[in-house]
Amino acid sequence: MCDNEQLVAYLYDDISDADRAQVDTHLRTCATCRDELRALRALRTGLAEWAPPQPDFGVRVVRDQQPSWRAWWTPAFGLAAAAVLVLAVASALAHVDIRYGQDGVSVRTGWSATAPQSPAVTSASVVSPASDAVSQLDARYAALDRRLRQIEASAQPSPVSSVRQVSATSARLSDTEVLRRVKDLLAQSESRQQQELALRIAQVLHDVDAQRVADLARIQQGLGRIDAMTTADAVAHRDLANYIMTSSRQPK
Amino acid sequence: MIETVSLASTDEELVARSRGGDLESFNQLVLRWERPIYALAFRVIGREEDARDVCQETFLRAFRALSGFKGQAKFSSWLYRITLNLCRDWIRRQRRQPIAQAPEGVDLLDLASEVTPTESIEQLVSRREVGRAVQRAMAVLPEEQRTAIILKEYHGLTFQEIADMLGCPLSTVKTRLYQGLTVLRKQLASAGMRKYDV
Repeated sequence: MCDNEQLVAYLYDDISDADRAQVDTHLRTCATCRDELRALRALRTGLAEWAPPQPDFGVRVVRDQQPSWRAWWTPAFGLAAAAVLVLAVASALAHVDIRYGQDGVSVRTGWSATAPQSPAVTSASVVSPASDAVSQLDARYAALDRRLRQIEASAQPSPVSSVRQVSATSARLSDTEVLRRVKDLLAQSESRQQQELALRIAQVLHDVDAQRVADLARIQQGLGRIDAMTTADAVAHRDLANYIMTSSRQPK
Repeated sequence: MIETVSLASTDEELVARSRGGDLESFNQLVLRWERPIYALAFRVIGREEDARDVCQETFLRAFRALSGFKGQAKFSSWLYRITLNLCRDWIRRQRRQPIAQAPEGVDLLDLASEVTPTESIEQLVSRREVGRAVQRAMAVLPEEQRTAIILKEYHGLTFQEIADMLGCPLSTVKTRLYQGLTVLRKQLASAGMRKYDV
């Protein structure tokens, strides 16, 4: 037979009963396979001596701590932000003009909706697009200038305006206060971090010291064992030397 | 209510709890399998640090893919398969045969601490030398033969489990194993260890 596959299955005892019986029968008559099996078994004793190192593992799965910016970043917030973005882009494309006047809020769309109907514009068919855009900007600036002049003319000293002035001052004061508080908070945070760092360093130093002590103890233990073995060897050698000396002194 | 994880829980029970979001159960699986997985990785690629990386990556991938593990195979077989794939990736990246770590000098302190009452220091040194010789000899083997020997000899998988894991016929596994053992015998004999080449 001399079937190597069967032999290796027999070697590891991973074989059916029928096949095992067949190999048993074959081994009784085949010295080659018997030698082979003996060699493989001897080899397995050698293989058993190969042991991997035993590192300190410590692999653990922990729940992920989301960063702070993700704490408030929810799908709903994302959708809302996307909606605002889409609205802004659409407004820019549609050139939405939102105005708030005495007659309420007015919304207009389209690039040509606000273009002044002037003779220059009427003859736009012969004017280049660049000059058309410049004339539109000029018209806008003029309208804006008129509006500002109206506001300035209508501005009169009044209790309401003084209240607004006070309010603005207090707002500036509150900004200063906020800045001061932020600085305080930052200082406190830095102080806490420094304390934590100092604590961590102290812990590391403590761990290193403990490890050093453990290592020294281990070395000491090992040296002790070696010393004991060396002493035993020395005693044996001394006894042997004494025996040889005694034997050599005896008269033949 | 905190559910305690019993050490006696089977892999399947721990897997089921892990799939339900119980991290402690998965960590129990890690604790149970990290040494065999590390041993497998170390024996296949032959480098301690890289084997440790492979071991960690194995559990990371297993955790991520846990929802896809349907339990057709044993959890350990699944882990072994992930490990072997990672080892193959590592070998491809290295673009060379795995190299056994250079034998280190004999550390007398380590040796002394390992001496058992029935074993002399000479026997221990000899045992270590054999282990290193086996490691070097294994590094010479082709990957398929080495993997077959490792899974059978050191992890006790059946031929059928190895065949399923490696995706090859049963007879191929046996042939690879026999050929690998034959090469190992010659390697050890050439290293001066004649007693393993009877």
